[in-house]
Amino acid sequence: MEFDNNWLLSVMTFVPLVGAAIVMAIPKAEEELIKWAALITSLVAAGLGVFLLTDFNYDNAGELQYVADAQWISVINSRYIIGVDGIALPMIALTLLVVPLCIIYTMGHFPEPRNPKALLSLILILETGMLGTFIAQDLILFFVFFEVVLLPMFFMIAVWGGDDRRYASLKFFLYTMFGSALMLVSFLAMYFLADGTIVGDEANTFSMIALSDGATVGIARTSQLWIFAGMFVGFGVKVPMFPFHTWLPDAHTQAPTVGSVILAAVLLKLGTYGFIRIAIPMLPEAAAAWAPFIGLLAVIGIIYGALGCLAQTDMKRLIAFSSVAHMGFVMLGISTLTDFGINAAVFGMVAHGLITGMLFFIAGSVKDRYHTLDMARLGGLLISAPRMGWILGFCAMASLGLPGLAGFWGEFPAILASYNPAAILPEATFRGYMVVAALGTVLAAGYLLWMLQKTAMGTPKDEFVDNPEITDVKTYEWIAWAPLLALILALGLYPKPLFSTTDDAVVKSLQVNVMDDVPDCLNLDTDQGEACFDDLREQFEAAG
Amino acid sequence: MEAIVFFVSAAIILAGGLGVIVLRNPVHAALSLVATLFGVAVLFIDMEAYFLAAVQVIVYAGAIVVLFLFVIMLVGVDKAEDIYAEPIIKQRQFAALAAAGMLILVALVGVAFAGDVTGQPSNEDMTISRAIENPDGTTTPAETSNINQLAEALFTDYVFAFEITALLLTIAVVGAVVLARRPKGDLQPLPDVEPSWALRKPRAVTPTEATDPSAGDDADQDPDETTVDQAATDGAETDEAKA
Amino acid sequence: MLNILAQPPTDAIPTPDVAWSGLMPLLILSGGAVLLLTIVSLAKDFIPRWFTPIYTVLIGIATGVAAIPLWLRVTDTPSAADPNNGPFATLDSSFGVDGFSVFFTMLFAAVVVLVALLANDYLRREDIDGPEFYVLMMLSASGGIVMASANDLIVMFLGLEILSIAVYVMAAMHSRRIESQEAGMKYFVLGALSSAVFLYGIALTYGATGSTNLVEIREFLSNVILLNDALLLAGFALLLVGFGFKVAAVPFHSWTPDVYQGAPTPVVGFMASAVKAAAFAGMLRVFWLTFGSYRTDWQPVIYGLAIATLLVGSFVAIVQTDVKRMLAYSSISHAGYLLVGVQAATNEGTATVLFYLAAYAFMVIGSFTVITLATGPGDAKTSLTDIAGLARTRPVLGIALTVFLLGQAGVPFTSGFFAKFYVISAAADANSYGLAIVAMLAAVVAAFLYLRIMMAIWLDGDEVADPTELAAAKAGIPVPWGAAVVLVVTVGFTLVFGLWPEPMIEMARDAVPALAIG
Repeated sequence: MEFDNNWLLSVMTFVPLVGAAIVMAIPKAEEELIKWAALITSLVAAGLGVFLLTDFNYDNAGELQYVADAQWISVINSRYIIGVDGIALPMIALTLLVVPLCIIYTMGHFPEPRNPKALLSLILILETGMLGTFIAQDLILFFVFFEVVLLPMFFMIAVWGGDDRRYASLKFFLYTMFGSALMLVSFLAMYFLADGTIVGDEANTFSMIALSDGATVGIARTSQLWIFAGMFVGFGVKVPMFPFHTWLPDAHTQAPTVGSVILAAVLLKLGTYGFIRIAIPMLPEAAAAWAPFIGLLAVIGIIYGALGCLAQTDMKRLIAFSSVAHMGFVMLGISTLTDFGINAAVFGMVAHGLITGMLFFIAGSVKDRYHTLDMARLGGLLISAPRMGWILGFCAMASLGLPGLAGFWGEFPAILASYNPAAILPEATFRGYMVVAALGTVLAAGYLLWMLQKTAMGTPKDEFVDNPEITDVKTYEWIAWAPLLALILALGLYPKPLFSTTDDAVVKSLQVNVMDDVPDCLNLDTDQGEACFDDLREQFEAAG
Repeated sequence: MEAIVFFVSAAIILAGGLGVIVLRNPVHAALSLVATLFGVAVLFIDMEAYFLAAVQVIVYAGAIVVLFLFVIMLVGVDKAEDIYAEPIIKQRQFAALAAAGMLILVALVGVAFAGDVTGQPSNEDMTISRAIENPDGTTTPAETSNINQLAEALFTDYVFAFEITALLLTIAVVGAVVLARRPKGDLQPLPDVEPSWALRKPRAVTPTEATDPSAGDDADQDPDETTVDQAATDGAETDEAKA
Repeated sequence: MLNILAQPPTDAIPTPDVAWSGLMPLLILSGGAVLLLTIVSLAKDFIPRWFTPIYTVLIGIATGVAAIPLWLRVTDTPSAADPNNGPFATLDSSFGVDGFSVFFTMLFAAVVVLVALLANDYLRREDIDGPEFYVLMMLSASGGIVMASANDLIVMFLGLEILSIAVYVMAAMHSRRIESQEAGMKYFVLGALSSAVFLYGIALTYGATGSTNLVEIREFLSNVILLNDALLLAGFALLLVGFGFKVAAVPFHSWTPDVYQGAPTPVVGFMASAVKAAAFAGMLRVFWLTFGSYRTDWQPVIYGLAIATLLVGSFVAIVQTDVKRMLAYSSISHAGYLLVGVQAATNEGTATVLFYLAAYAFMVIGSFTVITLATGPGDAKTSLTDIAGLARTRPVLGIALTVFLLGQAGVPFTSGFFAKFYVISAAADANSYGLAIVAMLAAVVAAFLYLRIMMAIWLDGDEVADPTELAAAKAGIPVPWGAAVVLVVTVGFTLVFGLWPEPMIEMARDAVPALAIG
């Protein structure tokens, strides 16, 4: 619409890619130059992000803004459509925040085997992939960006990872690729089965706008269920949901610190974002049918993640398992199919990004100092490095959902939402989930406090007493961490801005707005709701 | 009558073919090839393709097999060979499998002849495609001689196929020359296990590594060293087996 | 006397017209090959070594250029101004010129150029006699053009033989390597068997339809209902076996790994690109174009072949340790994808196959270029450990190989992604969702193979610290200019059409096969 600023998103997305090219062009010997070039690039992107945040029309957050629509591959009617609304905006902001912080962190402490040129260009390419995924409004474009993030992360783990890096990186790559393989088939099925003419597009379209506006209404129920299943696997692997989660602990444990942070803060969100942006708006009927199952897997994830945490001896692995649990809360929120639940989910995504990203930073710093993350050997962080100990405590509190910190607003409303899911869903089942999820928060408190006790409390073990390497938080760490800590506190105390940003877009995404005067099928009781969807289909067929 | 001739000559063809692969003396094998080729010639006569039959006898039975015999005697392998050596391990079993496969193929063809045969015997109209073009079909060629029909087919419908056969012959000549040429220099030894340039030596710490970031990990960090050695040993074993 | 000769006899056979313009690319390529043979045999001592590759490259370019006006003509629709536009056939309908055949002509021309550039240095390094290689390669590519243009089964068979026999010889050309001899022998014996089967298929099809001409066969099949079509179906089956062998479809794939491993690496590049493309061209021409009305009979068979090929190609590749063998299995699984496109039996499906073949040809030639350079003199050090650390010693080669591997894995921003995507979309369009899912899952398994090679070149081989050895390793792989050009072109092709596939897809869609009479 505004031609003036529809370049903004593209520039923001591709600036890091240009930066990566620049970084690659700088000779290897110029390490400092490389680092600064990478940092400046990411700051430029972040600067554009700040402009986006100020310029964004919050009163109209439900609508896509800064839309650009250009020809890409006309033979399959795949276009370069981008845009941002209230759901994508927080994700973009999160990405733009985390990447510079990661670069700052690496500037202070570079993971072995160094080679900053390669690592930093990978991080920048990764940033382009992540931003692109959040702005894409065309399924093929989305898929391309979604896949692009795979490779840099694969190399990051495979080159700069821990001892088991090969296994972990391969597992990460193959799992995610497996998911996206099925997802692509689903996208294609939707392309051929949906009818874009309903919403004034071409008959076969990949446009996410057209597909979520109701182009999919004519697809038969069984087909919808299968298509949703494909997407479910694709996004579920990325989240990761319970049976597909096994790549996550390995990848997190082996990845270098910045890799873990980016993975936790942004990459996992691509999966949940896909559910909110693609799976549910495009196939509400199938979503309603699948929701109880998704909710079930979500609560299994919560409990399983928590129990998994309690079984860990490695601090980083414990945090990784806690990710499984936290993403379970997010998925539970999504599975309620209510605006309340999905708002909570988006909040939970942001909060988890900040908090778990922060926890991984700390784990990385602990590893640098102690050269181990074995919790049996750690201890007394509060004595040897008091500030870091306090920060760890703060983050653990945030993670377990202490009111007043960001984590609370992700978990609590999600649980609350499952008390009252969309009318089409079985209420009793979801109330059962609510009980289990609430149990999960207790377990969360348990494992996080246990971790805190093992690592921060107590006295330092003999082997680490008077070790000169164990210093308190360094300057570069302060710079990298302060924004995250501040945001955790700020969002915890005053969550309204984020909720109000996402709300309109969430409400819109749940509307089945094909034709005028259609009832909101999701808000009818189970039988009536299904009948309502059938009705819609018939209306559509009658209309031709 | 036609059928009797067919079955008799088919039996000769098959017996000849069997002789080629079963007889131990190469000369005998070559001679039974002659039987096969003769049988084919008889089949041609049976289908009233006299010219083809003549060509078959002159070119194949006459020229080619004689050439075979020449080579066999020249090279001096005209004695029985030990056919019980197995150059390839389990080759008999594989041969049995392959034979079974061929049997299935033959069965397939057998099934096939239950189907409608649309093609016409050559003495009625050799160039079938022409007949379809002119459905009134009464205009049988004035010349009924085989040679004329063959010529017409070769220079109309199949002129392109006829011409590009030249390429095939060129390739055959070039290929024969290339393959028959004695290789320059010594035969290459079987691949050695240690490649000349690959970087697989156990690492010794040197001062350069501190400055060269591409040099990589510390030796103690690499769990794959043993695997690589293992692979190298495996390679050696395979090579020995091959040799 | 002269008068008598000038007078045509009254019963002269009316010889068919020849549209020379349509034959031009084929004539340039095959004539160029024969001319080269003549030149080098007459003036062997006066010809510098650079002459033959340059000559071959020029002939290849000339072939491609000669195809351009044809392309413009056949992809246009006939109009009042140019009534001759559109597909046509010549030589009594035995040589068809349509978008499809011209597309393949251009592809073969490109392959000839690239492999000639690559082979120059290789032949010198291995001390193999030069000119014959180029002659055989050009002749083989002419066979490919014949196959892609054949409107007659006999012509198709001759094209297949011209294509293959030359490649048999090329595979055995490294006469000092026993593996090369073995590869040539194996390829020859199995290839001859498959050719015989193919010929049998032609005979049965002729028996069932009364013609070897594809146009007439199609007419016949659409006009006549055979009460008992067993003969015809047996013909289909045998033809499919013949094609299946050439494209390395499971269960006719068993030659592939051995031949790929043993044959000289540039020849493998040629096999994987040109031979596969030609065989698919023939397959599409015969099955989709000619037997289109019987598609319900052959589609399920190709469906099964595709699934078997995909699964075997990707799963067996996992346990390989030799790079050339790995790429052999990868070429098998690529054949599976291509079969997915053939199975769709639509014009769109055909377009997907063409796009895939073009993308794959460039990627695979690029990969084998890197392998040729990296495996060093002797052509034998092709195990995974031999190329370990390649990306560290020669980052440019490493990056190039990575691009090709990612392309073959179907990672976005490479032409391979769109190739896979496009094929899968054809399957989805044809409602073969099961096949689409199997194909995508096979892609994941196959990705493991490519990742293994990538890990080997990027992460392994990092134990050396001895600076002299490192320097020696770096100096050990010179990149000659020919190979450098090949790498630039193939990487460029892979990346450019990965970002902007539109022109290539358009072209593949324009290259609709047509059976013209003429």
